[in-house]
Amino acid sequence: MIQALFIALSAFGLLMALGTVFARNLVNAALFLVAFFFVIACQFVLLEAEFMAAIQVLIYIGAVTVILMFGIMLTRNIQGDETTTVSKRWRLLGLGAFGTVCTVLVLGINAYQPWTDLAVRPEFPVTKDSTTPRGQAILSMTPTVGREMMTRYVVAFELAGLLLTAALVGAVVLAQHDSTDIVNAKAEKPGTEPAVTGS
Amino acid sequence: MSPFDMTMTPETNLMLAQSIYYDKVDLWLWIRWGLYLFAGFFGVFPLIVAYIVLAERKLAARFQDRIGPNRVGPFGLLQPFADFIKLIIKESIVPKGANGFVHLLAPMLTLISAFLVLAVIPFGVGLAPVDLPSGVLYMVSVSSIAALSIFLAGWSSRNKYSLLGAMRGVAQLVSYEIPQVMSILPVILWAGSLSMVSIVQAQQYDQGWFIFSPPGILGFVLLLIASIAEVNRAPFDLPEAESEIIAGFHTEYSGMRFGLFFLGEYLNVFAVCCLTTTLFLGGGSLPFQSYFAGRAEHMLAAPFDASKDQILKLNAHHEFPLNPGSGFRIEITNEAGRSEAFQVSHRTGNDLYLLANRPVDFQAGANARVTAAARPDFASPWHFSNLIMIPVFFAKVFFLIFVMFWIRATLPRMRADRLMAFAWKTMVPLAIANIFLGAIWYEIVIRPAGGYGHKLVGWAVTGPLTLAAIALVFRINRNSYQANDPERRPTLISRTGESLLAATTQGQ
Repeated sequence: MIQALFIALSAFGLLMALGTVFARNLVNAALFLVAFFFVIACQFVLLEAEFMAAIQVLIYIGAVTVILMFGIMLTRNIQGDETTTVSKRWRLLGLGAFGTVCTVLVLGINAYQPWTDLAVRPEFPVTKDSTTPRGQAILSMTPTVGREMMTRYVVAFELAGLLLTAALVGAVVLAQHDSTDIVNAKAEKPGTEPAVTGS
Repeated sequence: MSPFDMTMTPETNLMLAQSIYYDKVDLWLWIRWGLYLFAGFFGVFPLIVAYIVLAERKLAARFQDRIGPNRVGPFGLLQPFADFIKLIIKESIVPKGANGFVHLLAPMLTLISAFLVLAVIPFGVGLAPVDLPSGVLYMVSVSSIAALSIFLAGWSSRNKYSLLGAMRGVAQLVSYEIPQVMSILPVILWAGSLSMVSIVQAQQYDQGWFIFSPPGILGFVLLLIASIAEVNRAPFDLPEAESEIIAGFHTEYSGMRFGLFFLGEYLNVFAVCCLTTTLFLGGGSLPFQSYFAGRAEHMLAAPFDASKDQILKLNAHHEFPLNPGSGFRIEITNEAGRSEAFQVSHRTGNDLYLLANRPVDFQAGANARVTAAARPDFASPWHFSNLIMIPVFFAKVFFLIFVMFWIRATLPRMRADRLMAFAWKTMVPLAIANIFLGAIWYEIVIRPAGGYGHKLVGWAVTGPLTLAAIALVFRINRNSYQANDPERRPTLISRTGESLLAATTQGQ
């Protein structure tokens, strides 16, 4: 039954992805993308990782899509009547690239040889059991994620934090209005002196 | 929790292994989901929303010294039906160039978001429609979909004013999401879990309502203010203000489409009040009851909840600190270090009878250590304690809704830039400070003795710190207030350029 659910969900997701690529109107394409993100969240739930599903909805639909919409609406004419078209030559090249990628993927997956030093992963439990490590990790996903972030993946975590801080500081700097204009305006008013000469 | 030794004797044969952590898909689950979908989705929630609208109109009228709708039924009680009929028979005008599909989708997304938030809220014992282990995170992520719906509404109307209103609305929603989420963090720290049912249990059985602590009070106030901003209610209703920019993002909506927006907004109000009640007011539990041994509702329920599959009998040599009764779960660690949790069937004197619905590791006469008297098992059938908990829950929710109406009737609307400044310069620093205060409270009160620590010491330490944090944040922001900033203070200037106020204010 889970198999049927997975196939139905994936088919729907592929349709949404195709809609994103082929839609003429940009905002419609963004909406198809939202649906696709939601389907990815459902796939996470099928894999028993509902923490990841919630994070997917929160980050991708709640933040990335909003930024995307802002970008579309502030840089296009106001109702987005322009549609996007692609010239014939680029279409042929795109098709060729897609065919190559598909071929490589199919051949690679069919001929999969596991690496010999790959760690043995615990099996998928037949009964939902809280005594295996995997079962316990599923039950306590959030503490597991927190612990792993602070011990095993702490370098990546800190680097991501650094990147986000840089983005935040950059946004604040870009959005600040120029204080030299205020200083010049002060200089023109009679009887006042600017307190500082720089910005 | 001090560990102590006890001997155990298995009494009967053991049952087949069963999971106690996942919901069993049995009749009770279908009943619960059916209740939520049919009684809730189609019945109770729209009715509650309709009468909340009527209550708001009558309350606002009373604040303004008039009566409100009283013509349609006795005391105007049939007014929602009249409104509904009016909205349905009105023509839904859609602008010609508007994107029809998106125009219809936008109010649906608001409704979807509100219903999804209501799906994790525990309305009573065993009455949370879905009990996710990461319920709070799910709820936060689902309420962020509402921002998208406002955007789509404004864009699809093909109206510049709608688009302006939508942009402002999205900026406001995105800004106030941050203090809303950060004010929930101390609650998660104290409860130790993201599951809403665990948070209610922590308040009911261990720690009392989370609001009864200085960081709890600050967090409650922050969450309430941020939630009012999240649902676009006054004083934060600039996106849909009727006297500004026509009507904001729902200018071009009429008839039932506008009705859908209306329904969505008030359903959001209801959902957000339910959320605040669950997180800070102990959703459904009476105050101060965690101090009494043997909570009243479980004593009521004990004769009905005992089951016949008793297996283990514990002879306790010491008293349990929390006085576990039927429905509690006890965690036992054997000498090999493995621990298991068992549900308590009932207790007679010093003997605790435990249910073991899966194979156990303990032999007759073995010694074991009790490491925690854990929390009641909520995945069991109907508890009679719900007769108390459901009315109490709704009383609290309606009180919070009344507070929201009160604020709307009293305060004027905030201007867009002051609104954003309030979010980023005042609420975010306070929310961050609140996390530290919550951690201090945790270390003093909760970690030492599971909620029975030194509450007076906690108040003495965190109380002045909370007040200091609030004072500090407002003091740092004082130069950004318009009245104090000489560059922006409004003055009267005559045609020749002299200030007209100089003679009057500076001389006398």
